[in-house]
Amino acid sequence: MSAITGPAVTAGPLARPADRTVLSNPKILAGLGILAFFALLTVAQPLLEATLWEGRANIYDPRFGFDTTIGHPSAPSATHWLGTSSLGRDVFSMLAHATRPTLLVALAAGSSIAAVSLVFGSIAAHRKGWVDGFVSHLSDAMVLLPAMVAVFILGISRPDDEFGTLHVGLTFGVLYGLGPATATVRAAAMTVVAKPFMDAARVAGGGGPWIVTRHVLPHLYSHAAVQAMIGATGAVIADAFLSFRSAVGEDYGFGHMVYDGIVWASLMAGIAPTPWWIMMAGAGGITLLAASFYLLGVGLREALDPRVSRDR
Amino acid sequence: MARAASLRPRVPWFVSFLLMRLAWALLTLFIFLTVVFFFMQVWVPYSWATQFLQGGQSAFEGAREAAGLDRPLMERYADFMLGLAGGDLGTSFSGAPVAESLTEALPVTLTVFIAGSVIGWVVGEQLGRLGSWSRWRITGSAISVIGVFSATVFPPFLVFFLVSWFRQPLLDARAAMGLPVDSLELWRGMFTGEAGALTPGDVRWLIALGLSAALAVGLVVRSYGRRHQLPLVEGLALPAMLAGVGVGIWLAGLGQHALDLLYRVDMGATTGRGTPALALFGIVLISFGQVMLLMRVGMEAERSEDYVLTARAKGLTERAVRDRHVARNVMAPVLAGSFLTFPTVLAGMIIVEYELQMQGLSSVLFYAIEFQDIPVIMGVMVVLGLMGVGFRLVTDVTIAALDPRQRRGRA
Repeated sequence: MSAITGPAVTAGPLARPADRTVLSNPKILAGLGILAFFALLTVAQPLLEATLWEGRANIYDPRFGFDTTIGHPSAPSATHWLGTSSLGRDVFSMLAHATRPTLLVALAAGSSIAAVSLVFGSIAAHRKGWVDGFVSHLSDAMVLLPAMVAVFILGISRPDDEFGTLHVGLTFGVLYGLGPATATVRAAAMTVVAKPFMDAARVAGGGGPWIVTRHVLPHLYSHAAVQAMIGATGAVIADAFLSFRSAVGEDYGFGHMVYDGIVWASLMAGIAPTPWWIMMAGAGGITLLAASFYLLGVGLREALDPRVSRDR
Repeated sequence: MARAASLRPRVPWFVSFLLMRLAWALLTLFIFLTVVFFFMQVWVPYSWATQFLQGGQSAFEGAREAAGLDRPLMERYADFMLGLAGGDLGTSFSGAPVAESLTEALPVTLTVFIAGSVIGWVVGEQLGRLGSWSRWRITGSAISVIGVFSATVFPPFLVFFLVSWFRQPLLDARAAMGLPVDSLELWRGMFTGEAGALTPGDVRWLIALGLSAALAVGLVVRSYGRRHQLPLVEGLALPAMLAGVGVGIWLAGLGQHALDLLYRVDMGATTGRGTPALALFGIVLISFGQVMLLMRVGMEAERSEDYVLTARAKGLTERAVRDRHVARNVMAPVLAGSFLTFPTVLAGMIIVEYELQMQGLSSVLFYAIEFQDIPVIMGVMVVLGLMGVGFRLVTDVTIAALDPRQRRGRA
């Protein structure tokens, strides 16, 4: 790090110009754009039912819809924008309805990752000593435990009301939060507590809680946000795999759509064309949603690294 | 100060470093196993015994007792840890030792995982390095898009893609190389119990030993070439040694067997869709993206440093600046950063292996989850932990070799 710009930029509270670099980072813009698209998708369905599809809501029901006028699965058409599934359900409706639970998983995972890593990271850095030793060893060990595998162990072959979207998100979030997220946030917190302004805060007579909340935590929010976004990616994929793996008839998750397409393709190999539209809709939904969080996380990390963003 | 240092007996840095890291690894493993035990026993709400609930209370109690689940938690914990210390992974609910099913599954999985993640890392590192130095803006965007896609692709979908595109070409290639259509033909001796018959394990060990020997010799020759300014020796050392292993295996008459390990159609040839080559490809595809993004960001951050300007001013070629100066500074932090992506990548690998229906660790894991076979699940978690610690040790040693500042063990 060069002697002139390095310390001047990184020391002290978050510099204002960072706000501008955050919104000019192409990755962050792309991530926000994709998220906005999916947010639109969640409200599109009721609007469409009220206007364009008025009176035909029964064939657009994501669970029980069935269009009796055509054979299924059918390729994308004017009536069914993304085609229909092998059970005759409208793929666009499934996509729109599957978005909300997936966003809920990402939200639950992201917020629990941020909360866990902020609590453990800041306390470890502030208390040092055995507390820090405990936290850093714990996070080292938890990095070895793939949160996704833990979610599979808990979630496979269990019904939704026992282990639903919220459970997936929170389980993933707590385990990932204790592992890679805490490791990263703790490392960032260690550099914060080594800064001169911490001495100033202590000399000013601040107690532990005051110092942690007013002087340590504000510097960690961005790091926790990066971890939350990148972790949410994994949670989305884990949830999709659960829905793929334990796909039951009336479920309509992203993973289920991929499953539906793959099963049809392998049953009808050589007889009927592969229904790419079902798989593409499901896999596209998973990848785009996961990518939006990943882009936000990676973009945020770039924008907050003064050495990268200063070139832009 | 210098005098005092010279009087002390000299211990090479890597001895003390390795000892420190091994102690750290044991402690981490201990914490990991404790967490896994309590996760499995307390958090996981079901057990083998709940399957017998329909049989009435007495059947349930009997199953609980048979599985040893009625004993106090701490007693079971002590049993588990002491058993592990003695190398005993416990007994599956089906009655067979857990270690048995794991040792059967491990060779395939380890070969594919290790080879896949190493290749994925190298591919990501190289692409990130090239992309960050490209003159065209489009390269940077392409790298971002591909990297993000690789990090977020839905593994079952990727596998479906791979199978539907590459299965037939692979089978054709198999026929073109003169391999029998069914792998069983090649390893027949093993199944008929012929004395001295080759097993896949033997061939795998042979290849692994040959490759590591070639790698070691190649690296030594390469550094010799670099020191004595022999660019030809430096450039050709590694490729020549690795090619030598291939030729050696072929000359020893093991070529078909080695190829079959890569291109095998799984033992149940009609249902098995997976060949290790496909799994390897899939694992590379899901693991290279994150490394590539990390590498690119690291290179870009480093590029405006003063020493880069100095190196350019000296008249070094761009390539030399990139590879000799910038990349070397970036590699250590990227290695450390990519270790944190380990759990995500590992889970992706497990899904890929499972979807390819290979008889590996993931099939053991998912089968055990299906039947709530807790000892087997715990055995798989132990293996995952060991793999993680192993990866971490390799990463740490590599970082220390790259960066002398990191050689004092853990700060």
